[in-house]
Amino acid sequence: MRAGETLRLLFRGPTALAAAAVLVLLVLTAFLGERLAPYDATGTDVSNRLQGPSADHWFGTDELGRDVLSRVILGAEVSLRVGVVAVGISLVAGVLIGLLAGYYGRWVDDVLMRLSDVLFAFPAMLMAIAVLAILGPGSTNAMIAIGIVYTPIFARITRASVLSVREEVYVKAARSAGAGDLRIIGRHVLPNVTAPIIVQTSISLAFAILSEAALSFVGLGTQPPDPSWGRMLSEGRGFVEQAWWMAVFPGLAIFVTVLAFNVLGDALRDVLDPRQRQAMAGTGVTA
Amino acid sequence: MNRGKVRGQVLAFAAIALVSAGCGGGGDVDVDDPAGTGGSDSGGDGGSENAGGGTLVAAISAQPDQFDPHKTQAYASFQILENVYDTLVVPDAEGEFQPSLATEWTTSEDGLTWTFTLRDGVTFHDGSAFDSADVVYSYNRIIDEQLANAYRFASVASIDAPDPRTVTITLSAPTPALLDNIGGFKGMSIIPEGAADATDLATTAIGTGPFTLEGTSAGGVTLARYADYWGDPALVDGVEFQYVSEPAAALTALRSGDVHWTDNVPPQDIEGLEDDEEIELGVTPSVDYWYLAMNQAKPPFDNRDLRRGVAFGIDRDEVTEAARFGAATTNQSAIPEQSLWYHEYAPFEHDPDQATELIEQAATADPQPMGLMVTDEYPETVQAAQVIQAQLAEVGVDVGIEQETFATWLDRQAAGDYDAFLLGWLGNLDPFGFYHAQHVCEGTSNFQGYCNPEVDELLNQAAAETDQDARKALYDQAAEIIVDDVSYLYLYNPDVVQAWAPGLEGYEIRADKAINFETVRLPE
Repeated sequence: MRAGETLRLLFRGPTALAAAAVLVLLVLTAFLGERLAPYDATGTDVSNRLQGPSADHWFGTDELGRDVLSRVILGAEVSLRVGVVAVGISLVAGVLIGLLAGYYGRWVDDVLMRLSDVLFAFPAMLMAIAVLAILGPGSTNAMIAIGIVYTPIFARITRASVLSVREEVYVKAARSAGAGDLRIIGRHVLPNVTAPIIVQTSISLAFAILSEAALSFVGLGTQPPDPSWGRMLSEGRGFVEQAWWMAVFPGLAIFVTVLAFNVLGDALRDVLDPRQRQAMAGTGVTA
Repeated sequence: MNRGKVRGQVLAFAAIALVSAGCGGGGDVDVDDPAGTGGSDSGGDGGSENAGGGTLVAAISAQPDQFDPHKTQAYASFQILENVYDTLVVPDAEGEFQPSLATEWTTSEDGLTWTFTLRDGVTFHDGSAFDSADVVYSYNRIIDEQLANAYRFASVASIDAPDPRTVTITLSAPTPALLDNIGGFKGMSIIPEGAADATDLATTAIGTGPFTLEGTSAGGVTLARYADYWGDPALVDGVEFQYVSEPAAALTALRSGDVHWTDNVPPQDIEGLEDDEEIELGVTPSVDYWYLAMNQAKPPFDNRDLRRGVAFGIDRDEVTEAARFGAATTNQSAIPEQSLWYHEYAPFEHDPDQATELIEQAATADPQPMGLMVTDEYPETVQAAQVIQAQLAEVGVDVGIEQETFATWLDRQAAGDYDAFLLGWLGNLDPFGFYHAQHVCEGTSNFQGYCNPEVDELLNQAAAETDQDARKALYDQAAEIIVDDVSYLYLYNPDVVQAWAPGLEGYEIRADKAINFETVRLPE
């Protein structure tokens, strides 16, 4: 019942609903991909280059005569895949580190969290570029790089929640009853620290997609000729005077996607924060 | 032989290689500062009114790595050094060598001794007088320290100064390309005797040219007219080079009059600028060429049939159009049409059927994977690669484009860690520069691992052949084999594209992209 209640509260307002709708649309686009795209996104047709938006090419064509709409559609898949996998990496690694550090405390905490602090000390983009300099450019490596960069955030958030949950009576009770560490962490601690992690996941997805675009923009992410919004933006930059559509449409795609994830993240935070939730429930909305 | 007679063998000469495929790469730091922080009297409009001639402001896209003419390999450095240093002889716009620090020269009957008479009354920017000891010092520095251009003296046995006004170069074999080797570009500049020990040539310059190097900053380089220049003094008071990496910013500055000249004009902008009355556009064929090379040390690219299949599978017209927006001429060999040394030879028609057949027989997989290494340092390689990828997909080659920073690119090329790459050679004049080091088995720029004894023999013979017709015949033969074997898969010769303010007088756009502001007068 709790999940249903959460969803109901979440979608009370139109903004969160709109954001969710955009994201559902995006996921559908990414899944349909080539079936939805009117043209081959990597098929060049130089004689037909730099054509403006028309009935044949809704978003125009780029400097090699490729259909911009098809590339934006396929770019959705690239962006989502990189976003989801990268956040997945940081989620798993970060939560694990946070659980161990928070639950065991003492030297485990010191070692893990100081290592996280070291990672955290570097600006995210600089760190990602450094990782890619070692691994070499490419979208798989971009996922790993972004995943590494966002790991400390998840570690910190998880640890902070674990610290308070660890002292709860039910945890102590479980321990007195003879439960092992693994069971306590899995059954009692983890379920009670999920709220902030879910919020952070939504916001991190936005950042990860933005990071992928930025890395591709500078040539370190997705490699040509594969479509990526960031790369399309970078390619379109040299043609802004001749062909605005080359940069505007992928730019809009990035903007809308990132905005949707952020709005949803904000709404989730409002709903999942127990105090906020109480306040919301108490404002007279019929239950 | 006096200067007039030299002409026969001197039209167009050896490798300038201002920025070569193999060893270019310094100065690839862009400082995006259109406003310039040069701190001098910039802003052309104000300065151009006064009697002195004003300061010419030039926007260049890249930053020089250093100012030592014997050590730098960066085109951005040579853009500046062109105006600061002199060589013994200098190519004119047609590639014919004219007197500079040497006023005349003769060669002995056997072609092994060249005697140069030096110009009187030349002083360096530090006030010291120029004489033969400076020439001997400069050349020996390049040879003794084995600097990048030492290969240009490969056939030189000794350099002597019998008197202050005479220099003798003794050769171990006739070297028809000698004038190009010592004067083709400012990498062979004359510096004062002992200068390398006395000062830091990387940051200062003591030349004999029309301008002195006054100062550098994060935003640019300032030159001032040298009053005691041996020729007619420059018309402008000075030149300010500003680093502007964004083409749009360079063109805007040109339109507004903040900049008088720029070479930062991407080919896609040419069409829009042709009718632009606020900008004078110069487009002329260059001596550069761009090519694709496959790693012949690595199967299946060691297979000649496979390489020929790839050559048949590529539609050069489409690649050229994609990469250069028409500002280039397709070519199946290296030397451009305008050169005396051009040899018409185009055996590869775009023929997907033949390509498929050849590739099918030679490939180790179907489709045959081929990594194609490109660099964002030269965006046209990235564009060309995407078209080539689409073309080769139709003939059974699965091209994986690998975009690298130029430093990584060069490392991988040197280590042989690639399947294929795209790049260009810039600034060649003599066929020696176009073919020799790239295609002889032990060539210093033969990164693709090509080795054909027949080509070696032809190229070595041609390097020492003094009869021009015979020499051309040898190079033509060698070029045909190189093309047939697909040692390089030649794509096109690009145009030089530069833009300047209307009313700027006396500037000459050149095929070798040498930029000289000595005779330039600012607009009224």
